[in-house]
Amino acid sequence: MSVTATATAQHLEREPPLEVKPDPDFPVNRGQMCIKGFTAGDLIDHPARLTTPLLRGRDGRLVPATWDAALDLVAERLIRIREAHGPAALAGFGSGGLTNEKAYLLGKFVRVALGSPNVDYNGRYCMSSAAAGQNRAFGIDRGLPFPVSDIGRTKVLVLWGANSAETMPPLMQWVHEQRAAGKLIVVDPRRTETARVAHHHLQLTPGSDLALANGLLHLAIDQRLVDLEYIARRTEGFEAVRRAVMEVHPAHVERLTGVSIDDQLRTVRQLATAPSGMLLSGRGPEQQSKGTDTVLAFTNLMLALGKVGLPASGYGCLTGQGNGQGGREHGQKADQLPGYRLIESPEDREAVARVWGIEAGALPGKGKSAYELLDALGPEGGIRALLVFGSNVAVASPDARNVRRKLARLELLVVADTFENETAADADAVFPITAWAEEEGTMTNLEGRVILRQRVRAAPPGVRSDVDVIRGLAERLGHGERFAFSSSESIFDELRRATAGARADYSGISYARIRREQGVFWPCPAPDHPGTPRLFEERFSFPDGKARMHVVRDRPAAELPDAEYPLYFTTGRYKEHYNSGAQTRRVAALAEARPEPRVQMHPWLAEALGAVSGGEALVESRRGAVTFTVEVTPDIRPDTLFAPFHWGGKSAANILTNPALDPQSRMPEFKVCAVRARIVRRAGDRAPGSAEAAGRIA
Amino acid sequence: MTVRKKRLVVVGNGMATCRLLDELLARDVLARYEIAVFGEEKGGAYNRVLLSRVLGGDDPDAITTKPPGWYAARGLTLFDGVTVRRIDTAAKVVETADGLRHRYDVAVLATGSQPQVPPLAGMTDAEGALRRGVFVYRTMVDCLEMRAHARPGDNAVVLGGGLLGLEAAKVLSDGGLHVTVIHAGKTLMNVQLDELGGEMLERQIESCGIFVRSGRTIEEVLTDGDAGAGAGSGAGARGGGIVGVRLDDGKTLAADLLVLACGVRPRLDVARASGLPINRGIIVNDTLATEVPGVYAIGECAEHGGRTYGIVAPAWEQATVLADVLTGANPQARYRGSKIYTRLKVAGFDVASMGRIEPELESDEVIQVVETRKGSYRKLVVRGRALVGATLVGNTAATSALVQILDRGDPLPEDPLEVLCPGAAGASARESQAERIVCQCHKVSTAHLRQAIMSGATSVEALSAVTRAGTGCGSCRTELTQLVVRHAPEAPRAAAVS
Repeated sequence: MSVTATATAQHLEREPPLEVKPDPDFPVNRGQMCIKGFTAGDLIDHPARLTTPLLRGRDGRLVPATWDAALDLVAERLIRIREAHGPAALAGFGSGGLTNEKAYLLGKFVRVALGSPNVDYNGRYCMSSAAAGQNRAFGIDRGLPFPVSDIGRTKVLVLWGANSAETMPPLMQWVHEQRAAGKLIVVDPRRTETARVAHHHLQLTPGSDLALANGLLHLAIDQRLVDLEYIARRTEGFEAVRRAVMEVHPAHVERLTGVSIDDQLRTVRQLATAPSGMLLSGRGPEQQSKGTDTVLAFTNLMLALGKVGLPASGYGCLTGQGNGQGGREHGQKADQLPGYRLIESPEDREAVARVWGIEAGALPGKGKSAYELLDALGPEGGIRALLVFGSNVAVASPDARNVRRKLARLELLVVADTFENETAADADAVFPITAWAEEEGTMTNLEGRVILRQRVRAAPPGVRSDVDVIRGLAERLGHGERFAFSSSESIFDELRRATAGARADYSGISYARIRREQGVFWPCPAPDHPGTPRLFEERFSFPDGKARMHVVRDRPAAELPDAEYPLYFTTGRYKEHYNSGAQTRRVAALAEARPEPRVQMHPWLAEALGAVSGGEALVESRRGAVTFTVEVTPDIRPDTLFAPFHWGGKSAANILTNPALDPQSRMPEFKVCAVRARIVRRAGDRAPGSAEAAGRIA
Repeated sequence: MTVRKKRLVVVGNGMATCRLLDELLARDVLARYEIAVFGEEKGGAYNRVLLSRVLGGDDPDAITTKPPGWYAARGLTLFDGVTVRRIDTAAKVVETADGLRHRYDVAVLATGSQPQVPPLAGMTDAEGALRRGVFVYRTMVDCLEMRAHARPGDNAVVLGGGLLGLEAAKVLSDGGLHVTVIHAGKTLMNVQLDELGGEMLERQIESCGIFVRSGRTIEEVLTDGDAGAGAGSGAGARGGGIVGVRLDDGKTLAADLLVLACGVRPRLDVARASGLPINRGIIVNDTLATEVPGVYAIGECAEHGGRTYGIVAPAWEQATVLADVLTGANPQARYRGSKIYTRLKVAGFDVASMGRIEPELESDEVIQVVETRKGSYRKLVVRGRALVGATLVGNTAATSALVQILDRGDPLPEDPLEVLCPGAAGASARESQAERIVCQCHKVSTAHLRQAIMSGATSVEALSAVTRAGTGCGSCRTELTQLVVRHAPEAPRAAAVS
């Protein structure tokens, strides 16, 4: 479940408890594992696991049902809704936690069995801006165009809005290796655990990443640090970019970003003059309504410095979810078909339709993106039935209260998951799903390395795979023969054919090869092809082989602080928890370490508000209000509040966030919105009634 | 329904216009307007803030933001090298000097500023033109001519120790000229700095090899015929040129080059000829409109709320508001004035100035930190808990934090000095070091680790084995090493020897 798709050497034993250990020889994590990994075994045998399908009874309670009864009911209602309102009234929602096989199958199921264009997944909240940016700059999107071990070898590493020490701890060994011999620069509005180990921390204003990246390019040009020979040989579009960033004066950037001219200069000098340099972005700059443009500003910078494609150099994006990379390649995205094919490209449609045995004309077109899909639930939006696989959309989406309201207006909500989560609170049917250790499947990690997760345990009785849900429904919808797979490997074999010749070409990868070779890097177009650990050494994935630079002008975030809501609010993660916390909040060791979300507040702001650590603050945005326990810390900027988003209900940080979308990637703006705060309880106050009196709403 | 597109005419093609065009295009302006731009200078638009690069030898293209092809590629019409004479606001026609008449629905004046040229004796020839060797520092042509004239070893006098004058002085000095700055004010950059700040700056500038004479003016410009003291013999070869200047203290300086950098004033000839309401600049309201229907003004030529601005940031803010209003993207957008932020940063000197430089009210508090040897000066003007101004010379590390506090209107911390010392902020609020968690994975505190080290775990491996610290993500291993080094009991020396 870790983002590095840690190859865990589990021991196949019948006896609980399951012990999870890192594999000391696997080249990605080299024997290190995240605390979530160490405790992952606890989830497998957790007493709250769902072990039987549940159906909503007349009294409104979820009651146990047999698999057949649940599948019959869901299929029957899907058919009824489709007859009344057309196929586009049905939708599927997937996850970056699904295996490649499941992601592939879900996309196929929605488009072929349901006949609807509306399938998307929570990776839209995660990787979409980096994906859109990389596609436009390089003609291809793979999180890292090099193996993670290259990170350890780069002389200057910029981690931009990426808090790996807490979100992806096993990655840090490469960072520590790197910083021992080079310079580590972290760009983040917070002094995170990652920022603490950096040589330099640029603590920028939330939402000012694009201005800073453009400003660095301005300085690179001004200081004659750009590589004109590389630019001429390997890129297109520099002249227009050069003219556009000319107006991004360092003093103006200083004012917008809070990063001093000296820090700007030092950063770009170090990056440009080192023999190797790397910029890796996380969700900070990407989860913004200008996220794609910000990624393009990064690629502009690294291309202009002549770094992309050089040894231990270039731009990359740190993938968030376990199968964040593979999850976005195989067709559970509204605009894509397997192999990173585009649903609006006639050739791509033709190629996939051939494998699926249907007419290309029968394939639906582009559907709605994640937040737009959720926002369209209910009679007004037109989506009346939603099947959710492995995603807690009620907690993980921006403007979470709106999403909860919309979920409640569905005619049919189906949730397939290992635990009953907040989304299931409104479900008509819930299917109990196997956990990671209980079934086989491939994942593609952030390096583009396809790995195989082994089955090490039998699932508890009553629990089945997402594949069984999809197959069971497809049979009942009259498409059984297209989903009659006997194993995960048989699904993968069809996936290989569907991706043959595509950008993310898996056709040369087999389960046998993955086992033998410790994973295979795509693209891998033939069984005798070695795979592609490093992209861009020779050429980029456009027909002329050149990368593209794009003019990207800074613009304000969709919502900025003003007199009414004077503070920035930004969200992120705790090390102990993952995404909506649906799983990690159930692990005792993790819940004890971080039992509740706390809002970080700078001492200056705390003093102005009269806040102390341990007290409670009511934080309000235009969309809702949340009461948080306060943590006073100089690690946050004085103009910004931070809270993690792992909790649901009244503690959901996403009640506050703004669903403004990036026009290209449709990524919501999780990282910037405007809030105000006031203290509703000081630490040690005995009467919690004051909090109630202050309107503790959620 | 097709609606005739309106005609938008922009007079002037400087930095305000550039930003206006970018902001208009970002708001899909071409669906509503046809746009024509009149620029007096030949060619496209350039970034005036970066003119010193051209003076320093860069190709003009290096600072050209919008070459003529940029306009054509976007369907805009550029009339470059065309001077607008007046606007006939009744007929809604722009009239150019060469007799062209161009109809408009909306006219935007962005005519910028022109240099103030003091009437110095001997500065001009019989026809009233500046003598050879005398330059203003405003346009691309000025810079190219100055560059062609200046040679290493020449003597240059810069009149005016403000932002532009000092920038020009630095470039000329870097080019191998002997440079003297003559400044009428008591101290340099007296618009942005108080006297102490100006003195600190003067020290920095002189240490760069530039000479400064403050509180002085030029009485007379000496030309070949005047045979001023110290004039080089080679000067005779350049008839009609200057050879020196005589100051108001009677001293004479040899000069092959005189740069007039005495500030700018709004350029109002077109507005005046068009009968627009003028005070110091063209008077506009919060929508950047003049009282004449269909006529707007932005940039250095505009006067808003009784103020004109000679820096670029306000012009950009105005351009954004005007684009919102004219395209209807945000018809309620309003310009409420700008806070002044000036930054001069070149190798050798470093200045930031924002808001007020001196207290205004009796209750205003002034905080000054002077480091005499380092040549650093930091000053805050504080009203209650609010920052109303700051100047920094030499040490500008706190500038970015200060300008954001000023812009946002955030209260200063109880002890405003904390703002000047980034990093020290809130140290008191930090968890005590002993309780601080070092290994986040296994929640191991500094105190626990120290105890383990004292008890014999004197290597990182041993420490990890005892406490589990560092066995998770490993991100604390560096810190563990430091703790071991700091706290491991030293091996008894005698024992080691024997």
